[in-house]
Amino acid sequence: MPDTQALVNDFLNKLKKRKIEGSQATAKQTAELLRSVISQTRMPYTNQAAALIHSVKAVGERLIAANPVELAVGNVVRRVLHIVREEDLSLTTAAMAGLNLSAESDDEDDTDRDNHPALSAAAIAAASRSTLRPPSLQTLLEDVPDSAAVPHTSSSGGDSEGKSKSADKSSRSRKLKHDVIEAVNELIQDISTCHELIAEQAVEHIHQNEVILTLGSSRTVLEFLCAAKEKKRSFRVFVAEGAPRYQGHLLAKELVTRGLQTTLITDSAVFAMISRVNMVIVGAHAVMANGGVIAPVGLNMVALAAQKHAVPFVVLAGSHKLCPLYPHHPEVLLNELRSPSELLDFGEFSDCLDFGSGIGAPLLHVVNPTFDYVPPKLVSLFITDTGGHNPSYMYRLIADYYSADDLVLERRTTSGN
Amino acid sequence: MWWRSASFILDRQQHQNRTVAPSPESFLLSSPPPMADSPLNPKSNISAYYQTRAAHHAVVTSDWLAQAQAAVGRHSDDDGSLGDDKGAAPIGGGGGGGEEEGSGKAFSVIDEFNSWRKQPALAEAVAAIRALAAVIRTSEATTMMELEIELKKASDSLKSWDTTSISLTAGCDLFMLYVTRTSALEYEDFNSAKSRLIERAEKFGEISCKARRIIAMLSQDFIFDGCTILVHGFSRVVLEVLKTAAENKKHFRVLCTGRPDRTGLRFSNELAKLDVPVKLLIDSAVAYTMDEVDVVLFGADGVVESGGIINMMGTFQIALVAHSMNKPVYVAAESYKFARHYPLDQKDMSPARRPIDFGVPIPSKVEVETSARDYTPPQYLTLLFTDLGVLTPSVISDELIQLYL
Repeated sequence: MPDTQALVNDFLNKLKKRKIEGSQATAKQTAELLRSVISQTRMPYTNQAAALIHSVKAVGERLIAANPVELAVGNVVRRVLHIVREEDLSLTTAAMAGLNLSAESDDEDDTDRDNHPALSAAAIAAASRSTLRPPSLQTLLEDVPDSAAVPHTSSSGGDSEGKSKSADKSSRSRKLKHDVIEAVNELIQDISTCHELIAEQAVEHIHQNEVILTLGSSRTVLEFLCAAKEKKRSFRVFVAEGAPRYQGHLLAKELVTRGLQTTLITDSAVFAMISRVNMVIVGAHAVMANGGVIAPVGLNMVALAAQKHAVPFVVLAGSHKLCPLYPHHPEVLLNELRSPSELLDFGEFSDCLDFGSGIGAPLLHVVNPTFDYVPPKLVSLFITDTGGHNPSYMYRLIADYYSADDLVLERRTTSGN
Repeated sequence: MWWRSASFILDRQQHQNRTVAPSPESFLLSSPPPMADSPLNPKSNISAYYQTRAAHHAVVTSDWLAQAQAAVGRHSDDDGSLGDDKGAAPIGGGGGGGEEEGSGKAFSVIDEFNSWRKQPALAEAVAAIRALAAVIRTSEATTMMELEIELKKASDSLKSWDTTSISLTAGCDLFMLYVTRTSALEYEDFNSAKSRLIERAEKFGEISCKARRIIAMLSQDFIFDGCTILVHGFSRVVLEVLKTAAENKKHFRVLCTGRPDRTGLRFSNELAKLDVPVKLLIDSAVAYTMDEVDVVLFGADGVVESGGIINMMGTFQIALVAHSMNKPVYVAAESYKFARHYPLDQKDMSPARRPIDFGVPIPSKVEVETSARDYTPPQYLTLLFTDLGVLTPSVISDELIQLYL
């Protein structure tokens, strides 16, 4: 336990000081941290899933509070919670099937606790599966009494058989942890390999003699374009420099070393050049539940230009960037303001920015936002590691990756939100 | 398609032959409708659904109730004896008509439905499901198949009684689907299956209230301090949303519209009781005030498969204005209002008429557009708040497909 605490504190520090760059690195480290938290959690005799969920939530809330702008942290925490619930559910259904087959003699005990003795195991499994999926029209009438009954029967069933199955129980508890850690390892693997999976799809979208526009620098975009190059597509790239960090310059240099014909333009020139472009391909910081994109500053302008000239606007995003929250949520901070020194040199402008000048407040304010919000109607296609999707399809991926109970992970300091 | 070509001349003649052509004064809401022939008769041009809505918000006097009861009793007698468009199958559970099945029973599913429907807090779909539960309870069937057939007949009679109500159709369909699906599970004995069905149907009534609370909770994040909300008509779900926001001490202002059946007025009364600053608008003033508005919030009579909504007349207009001025349009609707219906344009639904009182007599040569509702296509809606979560309009068809396949 002390080891994990030290690890957690260390990670929290790094998050607060913004020492970790990039959502992929953040996501990976978060997942690894949660994996060690899980392996260190002590498992009680009954209801292990709740213990795991509790410990993960406790750590997760602190991580999210340390850097609310980095949505990948929250995404990974929620993915892990969903994994725990899923693994618990699959173990329970397996156990239920086993119990029903063997426990004929215990029926008298079960009937007074079990509301529906006539239901087969298949029905119970179906009902309990429905508790994990988000509520839908199908499950509307199969309501709370069933879902409340099922976990009770599963744990009480376990207790009544306790004498004969005690060895089975402890092995089941170890099995849960083991399964969860395996699944988290898969998650870490997925996060690490998201670039390759996305880049594989490049050749379907980039055709011969096309002109691609991008802004700033994104590793996903770089790998995407290089994958297409390797498949012998010849195309040209316009790179908008992405002031004030000018990361477009770095991207342009990289592309040239890989042999791609590149043109560097300023951000203001995007509207002038967009009519000569066939497709816009950009990376994202996060993708919201309505299909909107939180992207580096300047991309909203590019999206508007693309819409005006009917150019497809394609966003590349790994699945760890998919956030189940909506942008109107107060917990979602859409922006972070960086240092004004990226725009202005303090030396030349020190008198404008000086608090000591006559009035006591500087007349010159410098605002340097990091992100832009691109509404879903401007995005043509999302390419994730699972394939290409419409913005209106995002809810499906969210339903696959996250559970509805985990959406709100804020520590409530006040009663109302 | 209706009224589209110059054939409107021929159509109008046909229409006039069928209409009862009442005079406008008889439709004042405060007095009970004086029409002798069944005020709740949906076979005339007045939509029973909208009449009920009006009744919920107006004063319901006891003699009006008695009249309504009597009319329904007579009406279902008529239905039982006619049996016209049903062809061979008699209307099951229908009142004292000389059919073989219901001859001894005084039970009428439509009676039952009307008794549930009178409660103002209960939604139509829930009342329908409760009525169908009563059918199961009083049925003398001994096998699941028989029970299903009875239920199907009852549900069909309910649906045909008021073809204009979308949530009624949706509720009946949902319950029938649930019944067929439940009977597919292996139940050892019929009685336990029957009791389970009854129990679920009764519980469904609680879902109505629960759904509204869930929707109210989900929409809290979208109402921020200091915002101006535009609402249309009287929706119980929207009222719940705003009540919850007021209880959470949020400061917001509401603009109400909704003529000519005074629903906007009723809604503003309710809000004034909550101490929420309210401003009333006539429907034509919506574009004028749209720049002050931050959020537009509607309820829905039904949510159709395309993701659009069917709601009181005027909704589409407000949605268009909001869309052109980039204001978000939110819809609060419970999930049992989702219907398998795909209107392609405004006239693509069964017409629901409601009386419009202009206050002065209108010459008989002048037509009045009396449709009670319109269809708002999904591209004008931003988000839907349902008890299944916050959804974008494209999710609706997905949900419906999952249910019906």
